[in-house]
Amino acid sequence: MGAFRRFTNLFRRTAVNHEIEAELQAHIDLATERGMREGLPPEAARREALLRFGNPASTRERVLSADAALSFESVWADIRFAARQLLRSPGFAITSILTLSIGIGANTAIFSSMDAVVLHPLAVPRLDRVVTVAEQQISGDFQIASLANYEDWARQSHSFEQLAVRTGKDMSLTGAGDAEHVQTTLTSANFFSVLEVQPLIGRVYGESESLPGRDSVAVLNYGFWQRRFGGDPAVLGRKVVLDQREYTVVGVMPKTMQYPSDADFYLPFAPMQKELQNRTDRSYFVTGRLRDGVTIKQAQAEMRIVAQRLAQAYPSTNRDMSIAVEPLLDGVNGTYTPLYYRLLLGATLFVLLVVCANVANLQFARGLQRRPEIAMRTALGASRTRILRQLLTESALLGLLGAAGGLLVGGLYLHLILIAMPARIARFMAGWSNISLNGRVLAFSLLIAAGAGIVSGIAPAIEALRINLANQIKAGSRGTTGSGRSHRLRNIFAVAQVALAVALVVGAALMSKGMWSMLHLADSYRPEKILTFNVTLPPAHYDTVQKQVAWYADSLEKLRALPGVTHAEISISLPNSDRGWLHDLEIENRKTVPGKYQSTLRIPVSDGYFLAFQIPIVAGRSFNRGDSLETTPVAVVSQKFVAQYFPGENPIGHRIRTGGLNTTEPWATIVGVARETSYSTWDDTPQPAVYFDAAQVPPMDTTYAVMTNGNPLALAPSVRKALVSVDPNLPLDMVLTYRQYLNEQMTGLIYAAVMLVIDALIALLLAAIGIFGVMANLVGEQTREIGVRLAMGARREDVLRMILRRAGWLTAAGLGSGLVLAFGLSHLVANLLRGVRSDDPVIFSAIAVAITAVSIASSWIPARRASHVDPMQALRSE
Amino acid sequence: MAKNDLQGTLDLLVLKTLAQNGALHGYGIVLHIQSASGELLRVEEGSLYPALHRMEQSGWIASEWAMTETNRRAKYYKLTVQGRRQLELAQESFDQLVKGVRAVLRYA
Repeated sequence: MGAFRRFTNLFRRTAVNHEIEAELQAHIDLATERGMREGLPPEAARREALLRFGNPASTRERVLSADAALSFESVWADIRFAARQLLRSPGFAITSILTLSIGIGANTAIFSSMDAVVLHPLAVPRLDRVVTVAEQQISGDFQIASLANYEDWARQSHSFEQLAVRTGKDMSLTGAGDAEHVQTTLTSANFFSVLEVQPLIGRVYGESESLPGRDSVAVLNYGFWQRRFGGDPAVLGRKVVLDQREYTVVGVMPKTMQYPSDADFYLPFAPMQKELQNRTDRSYFVTGRLRDGVTIKQAQAEMRIVAQRLAQAYPSTNRDMSIAVEPLLDGVNGTYTPLYYRLLLGATLFVLLVVCANVANLQFARGLQRRPEIAMRTALGASRTRILRQLLTESALLGLLGAAGGLLVGGLYLHLILIAMPARIARFMAGWSNISLNGRVLAFSLLIAAGAGIVSGIAPAIEALRINLANQIKAGSRGTTGSGRSHRLRNIFAVAQVALAVALVVGAALMSKGMWSMLHLADSYRPEKILTFNVTLPPAHYDTVQKQVAWYADSLEKLRALPGVTHAEISISLPNSDRGWLHDLEIENRKTVPGKYQSTLRIPVSDGYFLAFQIPIVAGRSFNRGDSLETTPVAVVSQKFVAQYFPGENPIGHRIRTGGLNTTEPWATIVGVARETSYSTWDDTPQPAVYFDAAQVPPMDTTYAVMTNGNPLALAPSVRKALVSVDPNLPLDMVLTYRQYLNEQMTGLIYAAVMLVIDALIALLLAAIGIFGVMANLVGEQTREIGVRLAMGARREDVLRMILRRAGWLTAAGLGSGLVLAFGLSHLVANLLRGVRSDDPVIFSAIAVAITAVSIASSWIPARRASHVDPMQALRSE
Repeated sequence: MAKNDLQGTLDLLVLKTLAQNGALHGYGIVLHIQSASGELLRVEEGSLYPALHRMEQSGWIASEWAMTETNRRAKYYKLTVQGRRQLELAQESFDQLVKGVRAVLRYA
């Protein structure tokens, strides 16, 4: 009832206003009448009635707000008034809106890419209910299970609606132009129903198509469909040949379903009975959807019991195995991406704070000019809350206009982010292609805009209300000098700006330094002179070790014969490439301690690898032509390997193997020790490594490194031709220089570093503007004082020094608190990178000097103006 | 616990006045409270009108324009059913307040 009346009042504000006026007038008339009846003359009666009534204007205001038409109507009036006020000072409005646009825009861009990549990478309904289930031996983020165990989990657990299994498989796509190496994902038919996703076009496969022999249907991933078939819907029903087998395309997954993100094809997983009983081949990924009401913790607890039961039933394979249940999102995002994004969003919110401080300072300056206006309104009966609301409406309006500008800036920024990302990398980032300015982003922008408006407006608005009414009106519009309090507040804002800018610049500098050193880790290998590419041998063609060994021998011989080639070698993992897995390690005649696992990198290389990459053999011998399938298997180990497994012993002559539990792999004899070489860019703790001779243990999937003194990319066509002459059906992947290859590994880091630097530059610029503003204002207000000083005999240098000293104090305070803040936060950056100390003394001192220089430069103009004040004019003008 | 704010007291006075007198205009309410309290209470117009409008928005009282005996247009207020209920609540609450204050004063 009341609400309805309030609402209808909205449409008849003038009527309500008139009515209140009439009512109050009637009251005064009645009182006058009574006064006259009591014998007072009409004039006196009227005066008495008015006096008794008090201020009718303020009573009217309060009645009006009781009528609460205020809730909508007066807000609208406030907005219109605020808009007029902003139009009246366009310089202030434009500056504020521009700075807010930059702050909000940067946040909008970062948030929308974070939203798509980290928060909602997959359009899977109720994504938080989907988990991965994995066997866990050595703690790590490896999500992998054996098929027989998966079957038992599905039978014995009750926490899941369904469990689905998938495994990746490299295949070659032939029959349409060049042979192409594609990633396929074999999934159980319920994989799609666990994720609750529908195909974009066509259909997915069912149980009846997941039987051996009936499984010749394929579903395409969106990206591959676009790349290979140009997004042609007529692809449905087409036949494709994968590993010499024909499949019919029946469906295409939507763009928002890049899971697993490297999959080109989804094929039905049709295991043989024998495979289903295998407990040792741990190469299957299990995904499940939790039943309603079951938490991840409960599921984890249940699976722990299942794991214990399985460990008792199958001790030889399942002893010491636990089961890990984790949100699918964690696996999709990996470790670093969410960290980067959190770091970036944090830094960008810092920028927004700097922006707020800047706008607040502008508002302070403007508040001084508006004092007469506010004094007048207070005198006319406006209440403090009423004026505060009006001022905050102005700030919120600024914020909203900033949001509009921010969406433009954000859209532009986002566009730059998108076009700068190499397509090769974007393919592997689930969610990257979903980046857009959506509803969530819009809501986020509006939220931070309103927040920024209020934050930047509240202190100046409260300050504007603290006026001495009588003095203000007496002084008229002259003498707009800020109070000491107002100066203190403005100084605090300037100091905060400098502090935030210092923290950001330190963070960006640390990040850049770390990035730089990581980009140059591999410099000693001359990576710009090395051509790299990947080859995966199709198992159907290369079904014996002899054929595999022959391929490597032939292909390397052809490559080494090419003109300009100095070395041609293979390795599963090149230095600093972050490829290769840890394998279980067994040492002959040494008991393994249960619960304590031995592991090592396992790197098959060609015999010239150590020479080509200048890795000295520090003991024993390297591989040579004499090592072959006919001779004893040999291994070279790294120095870290020796330190970890043969401390104080000579490892040469010992025998090892890396095949895991119940392996049939032959023992390999250690014949040499190679100097420590890092295979990771990210991790600076070296891992033990074992090298095998590819002529004895040929890998199915490896990286070629072809070294030359010329331009390696110019070599690519002849390399291709040489390899086609050995096997025309073998696809080459990722033909790049080693430098490019390494840089692409770090795209995420480079992105994060560049954006952090942009944030820092914006903050630095705003802080400089902030100091300039405060100093210019100070000089403006103290012109008279300076004039007096000069008239009394102060020298111009003294004035200059006085102003610069003020600026120096501001800077010192900002720098001090900024360095403390930076010191507290810099470990966040340092933890992400290799080769960076959070207390890097060079960076900290360089930045202290740089910030001081910037702030002196920005206060130079106001200081010079102060020293050029003409004392006569300054004194006369008041 | 008694709701013992001054605003509540003003509301109570107004509601009670309207309950006893039927329809009254604002000035009439001021006069009635003044005389009924033996000139002890004097309601401020600056508080009365906002309170009247607030109570009207809450649906406790209703208003209409009518002529006074001296032929002047004035806005008359009267109690609604909801207002009668509110009066009972306010009275009870006030009694509690008085009882409570008395008890404290008598304590010694």
